[in-house]
Amino acid sequence: MRQISGMGPEDDKYYIGQVLKGSMNAFAYLVDKHKDKAFNLAFRICGNREEAEEIAQDAFLKAYKSLKDFKMKSSFATWLFRIVYNTSVSLVRTRKKKVLSVEEFPADAVDFLSMNVSDEEAADEYRNSLVNFALQKISEEERGLVTLYYYDELDTVEISGITGISRSNIKVRLFRARQKMAEIIRKAEMKNVLHHE
Amino acid sequence: MNNHENNDEELLRRFLNPERIERAPEGFTTKTLTRIRIETRPSTEHYGFLARNRVPLISAVITAGLIFAAILIPAGETGTIGSEVWKYFRDITFTLPGINLPKWASYTMIGIFVMGFLDRALSGIFHKGITSKP
Repeated sequence: MRQISGMGPEDDKYYIGQVLKGSMNAFAYLVDKHKDKAFNLAFRICGNREEAEEIAQDAFLKAYKSLKDFKMKSSFATWLFRIVYNTSVSLVRTRKKKVLSVEEFPADAVDFLSMNVSDEEAADEYRNSLVNFALQKISEEERGLVTLYYYDELDTVEISGITGISRSNIKVRLFRARQKMAEIIRKAEMKNVLHHE
Repeated sequence: MNNHENNDEELLRRFLNPERIERAPEGFTTKTLTRIRIETRPSTEHYGFLARNRVPLISAVITAGLIFAAILIPAGETGTIGSEVWKYFRDITFTLPGINLPKWASYTMIGIFVMGFLDRALSGIFHKGITSKP
């Protein structure tokens, strides 16, 4: 399993100790280290950059306030991700955001076929926008699972620790999410191809 | 996994690139730390009722004490420190050339002087206490 944020949890333990002794710089280090993964998880679930930033900030604030109660049974990253996941899912549930239908996906939003094939950055942008679109078509819990599984490359044990969902349930939900997303991506790609013919 | 599932998995692996995560916006760490500093700063709401209202409470207690003392001061009696002090102030008379001040004026002057001194002292104490809070 790949380590969350690519750094050892022992590293975090040392800095947590320093934070508990009153060092704000130590917490700055923890924020800097985990901010991208925390932001990515929030963004993939809520689909909005401003909200994702607020969720990630809230998560760090909550973590800072409750750091003295953190027993270190899990890694700091797992604990932080749990806060981000729960906050994001709750927010989306209350917001009940309107989602676009598959037909509404703007095929020419990123003109993939007419672009220079060597333009890897643009192709990457297209794939990313399509993924974000497909993510908005599945439930908020599934978005979290997909992000943790594919982007953070965590296994079902670690995902279970973050989301509180059983391993077997995670497998079932991932299977459904994978099916739905693959179908949406295929349809959108087909539409993109037809659009350029 | 059957073929169809494998295709789905492959497709998603192609699209969901772990290297392509959405990064936190510029200045995120600074903004977060500023917010933490503001939101974890101890506010006056965390103090008890007595601590929050100490200035008016102490002022009220001192004023009540002065009024009470004024009522209870024995007229012409001796033997206690309070009555002796009272006698000292009572016997003070202000005399200015050509001006005869009424008797109550001396009490008013003393009262103003004492209250002014008290006000300055309390202001100094509490102002220092408030500004030294983290």
